[in-house]
Amino acid sequence: MNKRIKDNMVFWLFLTPALFSFLVVVIIPFFMGLYYSMTDWTAVAGLQPNWVGFENYKAMFSNLAFRYSFLRTFLFSIISVISINLIALFFAFLVTREIRFRNFYRAGFFIPNLIGGLVLGYIWQFIFKEVVPAIGGMLGISYIENLLLLADPNLTLFGLIMAFTWQYAGYIMMIYVAALLNVPQELLEASDIDGANFWQKLRNITIPMIAQAFTITSFLTLVNSFKQYDIIVALTSGGPTDIYKGQVVNSTELLAVHIYNIAFKYNRMAEGQARAIVFFLVLSVVSIAQVYYNKQKEIEM
Amino acid sequence: MKRNLVFLLILALLVAMIGGCSKPATQDETVVIYQNKVEIHEQLTAFAAAYKEATGKEVIVKTSGGDSPYAEALRAEFQSDRQPDIFVIEGMGGYNTWESKLQPYEGDEWIDLTTLEFIVDGKVIGFPVAVEAWGMAYNKDLLEQAGVDPSTLTSQEAYRAAFEKIDGMKDELGISSVVAMAAGPDMRWVTGLHNFNGYLSAGLPYGDTTVLDKLNNGEADMQRLTEYADWVELLFEYADRTVLLTGNYDSQVSQFGTGKAVFIHQGNWIDPWLQSNNVTFPMAFAPHASVKGTHDKIFIGAPSFYVINNESKNQEAARNFLNFMATDPAGHNYMVTEANMVPAFTNVTLTPTAPLSANVTEWLAKDLKYTWLQNDMPDGFGMGTIAPIYEAFAKGDIDKAQFIEQLAAKIEEIK
Repeated sequence: MNKRIKDNMVFWLFLTPALFSFLVVVIIPFFMGLYYSMTDWTAVAGLQPNWVGFENYKAMFSNLAFRYSFLRTFLFSIISVISINLIALFFAFLVTREIRFRNFYRAGFFIPNLIGGLVLGYIWQFIFKEVVPAIGGMLGISYIENLLLLADPNLTLFGLIMAFTWQYAGYIMMIYVAALLNVPQELLEASDIDGANFWQKLRNITIPMIAQAFTITSFLTLVNSFKQYDIIVALTSGGPTDIYKGQVVNSTELLAVHIYNIAFKYNRMAEGQARAIVFFLVLSVVSIAQVYYNKQKEIEM
Repeated sequence: MKRNLVFLLILALLVAMIGGCSKPATQDETVVIYQNKVEIHEQLTAFAAAYKEATGKEVIVKTSGGDSPYAEALRAEFQSDRQPDIFVIEGMGGYNTWESKLQPYEGDEWIDLTTLEFIVDGKVIGFPVAVEAWGMAYNKDLLEQAGVDPSTLTSQEAYRAAFEKIDGMKDELGISSVVAMAAGPDMRWVTGLHNFNGYLSAGLPYGDTTVLDKLNNGEADMQRLTEYADWVELLFEYADRTVLLTGNYDSQVSQFGTGKAVFIHQGNWIDPWLQSNNVTFPMAFAPHASVKGTHDKIFIGAPSFYVINNESKNQEAARNFLNFMATDPAGHNYMVTEANMVPAFTNVTLTPTAPLSANVTEWLAKDLKYTWLQNDMPDGFGMGTIAPIYEAFAKGDIDKAQFIEQLAAKIEEIK
């Protein structure tokens, strides 16, 4: 046995367990899913699925509820990404300054992330339904007191974004904190001596130096807001209704919830699978584009 | 030498992984019942233990909760190495999904003791787990105080007159609205299933499925739909706006339970909630006046059925267990006293203590029942497709004409 073949064998030998599990739990199910999305599969044992080609895909794009859900998901994701990152960055600046109890604040901002989405959704439901009217009553503002926040499609979407930001901003803050602590102090000191003000330092030194963190945080927030499910289920269960092109639709039934409902509530597994695949493709394209764009902004020291 | 050892280890690992998928030998004598009522799991397990003591046959109770999670878990259960012998379906929807797995009952003793068994094409498919019913549940004290006789509440006109009268006495009665009604995102089963069932079966003889059959063929009965829309409008008009639009189960039931509403659009399943919150006022059901004409019945049915898996090796033992439950006093005691259910069997002499459940047994004894057809619509139609239209109507986003039109359009889409 010559050395090369032997090395190769050892290489593959060590790779086999990982490769095998990856194949079994990711690759094979993915292609099975692709196959099922082109059948009329309903997941009943003993029933053979029939091949229907691209029918499920065609049905999806002519479906108003799906198109509406798509638009709302984009809207939700864009606003969430912006609000989470802004707030996280703001917190990160706060807790990296020389202030008292900064470790306490760091922990405090991070803790909402440790609460599960379902619990958090119910907490915010309580806030929107009980606390907000109570505050309105205390202040004597009857508009707030009688405001049914969770009955208005747009307010509910903002409520969702608020809850999601509250949960996720602390986690993203931690990434920014790590990046901010890595910004070379000598650069900042040098610019201080040159008389640069806060904004100049921020724009020319801090932001470029933490560009790598931006890549990570925008990726994480983008992907997670796209896939948001548990907070929605607990907070709004897809409602309230909205009118889209004359049809009644569910205003916060974002894609993940929508796919779940199609598959399990309507028992149209194959159609749900087809939508999930489109969801996957769109999310891949969006996130790859985002990472590619952000990468270009990064600089090496 | 070492290399061989590594080889062997990896080989062993692979064999173990593949070997893990093969089926272990099944235990033959044990009956597995896979059911969906979390609240009766302990009681049923205790009953199964009593059954083992009496007959020596073992029954294992497996439970997974809620409504839709059960359907998913059941699929997984069927893919696993141990299929259940008895499982639960909820009407035609479940039947269509599981048709290939169902074994009809034949000549079982309990069949003659009930009118609520699940029958398809003349074959008895399902054993009724319990009886549930809904109508307009009312607070007897408040109704008396308002001077309304519940026995007159049999038509839309009577309801409208009563609602107007009660609405005028709001302060006197201390209520925030006449009806506790909910149509929000959390309560879609109330509107899309229970309320809509009025369109399907109110005023028709028991077992009449003409309106349902038309619906399943994509045809709307416009006359009925128009009359029905008046009923929905009436309920929404006299409901509390907060509970109606954003309320959940707790807020709806507590509005009624705290005496802030005279009526509630719910069924006897609210008994446990009322009991655990120490609600003691007397209450009973009045019929829904879903369409024009007089109505003297409430919606009574079995929400779920035990069915036999046709691939089970223990069908005989499984059927014996169900027969025992329906015929033996121990079974009656379990159903009525332990699990607090309304039994579907005529030979049961025990009556439930909870007020609404007790009232259901009276209606059932007089055989005043409208059919449950809400579970026989296509999957997701009630809660997913039409319930949002109710919510939009409740909010005022659409008017009554649009409400009728949109409902009709959704029915036509079924085709």
